[in-house]
Amino acid sequence: MLKDYLPRDIYNAIIKSFSFNDITEVRMRVNENIIIVVKNKKYYLKDENGAFIKANNLLIENFITKASENSIYAYNDNIVNGFITLPKGIRVGICGSIVTNEDKIVTIKDFQAINIRIPHFIKNCCLMAYDYMVKDGEILNTLVISPPGSGKTTFIRDFVYQLYAHNNSKNVLIADERNEICSINSGEPAIELGGFCDIYTNCSKKFAFKNGIRSMRPDVIVTDEIDLERDLESLIEAINSGVNVVATIHAKNLNQLKKKPTFDKILDEKFFSRFIVLSSDEGPGTLSNIYDEKLNCIYCR
Amino acid sequence: MKWVLITILIFVIMLIAYAVSEQYKDRYDFYNNLKLFLNQFKINLSFRQEKITEFLNKTTCKKQFKIFIEEYKKFLQTNELNLDKIKVLDDADKKELVDIVTNLGKHDTKSELEQLNGFLLIIENKLQLANENKNKMCPMIIKLSLLFAIGLAIILV
Repeated sequence: MLKDYLPRDIYNAIIKSFSFNDITEVRMRVNENIIIVVKNKKYYLKDENGAFIKANNLLIENFITKASENSIYAYNDNIVNGFITLPKGIRVGICGSIVTNEDKIVTIKDFQAINIRIPHFIKNCCLMAYDYMVKDGEILNTLVISPPGSGKTTFIRDFVYQLYAHNNSKNVLIADERNEICSINSGEPAIELGGFCDIYTNCSKKFAFKNGIRSMRPDVIVTDEIDLERDLESLIEAINSGVNVVATIHAKNLNQLKKKPTFDKILDEKFFSRFIVLSSDEGPGTLSNIYDEKLNCIYCR
Repeated sequence: MKWVLITILIFVIMLIAYAVSEQYKDRYDFYNNLKLFLNQFKINLSFRQEKITEFLNKTTCKKQFKIFIEEYKKFLQTNELNLDKIKVLDDADKKELVDIVTNLGKHDTKSELEQLNGFLLIIENKLQLANENKNKMCPMIIKLSLLFAIGLAIILV
């Protein structure tokens, strides 16, 4: 897949030393060695003589130009949010100099680094938790907790698929703010999600929740990386409208989550019936604990 | 027999004259098409925001400008631009064209529009010159060729 975007020598060096199926990240920083991440371990990319291959600004600029199909203007809405999504769900995080105009981010220029994240669709990775999340066919409001890179997105993506696999015909609205869950390219999801999904991509959760509830009549909204401060109102609106929510949040564990200011309100109001904690202990997506709405541990690894 | 040969000679001279004058017309057509192309691209930026490849695929064109579009498509895949086949352009023209091709699509919408306006100014000037040359040279070439052919015919008779 990356063949179309990388110079031939770099692509060949990657496939010579690594299996593409194992790679989770390719990191390039201007004038620094290219790093390949495989199963949470970092390796420097070497050429055929064993010398480290460094990235430069031309390499990064060319990659972004190709990733945007030579049409930066068409991808600028993504670029200002710091990423471009390639086919097959590959996400390219972008760092560089931020151009602003009257406090509004106009674009990113003088690219300094890119992080190419290669998703791995792991079917059945949420099966152990599935029965805790769905009771008598009804989906319980669930918050999936884990630090970055621990498989939250893979988990909820599989959950959506499992609903379909378990013949649960609930209408699922996916609020995919950064096009990470479904990796839609030209209107087509890169992965099999089943036949009951409606998807909003590249829009705020506020928009997706408000308009989705009004126009798509979802039974459940699935979303990634909520911000308890910013998105609380949307969450409350959805839950009070009778729409269930399955969301993920960044936190190392439940104790860390408890320190967040609005978490008390979430607990008091019992917005969520399940809190699922993932870790990377045995690879990304390791199911650590499941808690009920009173934070009693109902599954402990 | 002699008259037949003289008629053929006049016909050949006029054909060459026509071909030479066509160069001026083709150059004018090329810049006219390029101006239309850039204007259409400006509209695309403001509304549909189609990617360059999609935009190029929808561009209808003929003759020299078609060669340019085909080369542009190849450039997007290979990063190599070969404009040698475009006969109506000199080296300086080709450099300007390389500038356009290598810079389109590299910026956000606002910067693209500003850049396009700059390109359009250059192209407008080129188009105007091409038009003046076409209007001046084409009739002159035809007239001179006709005079030359008639003169040659008289000498031969």
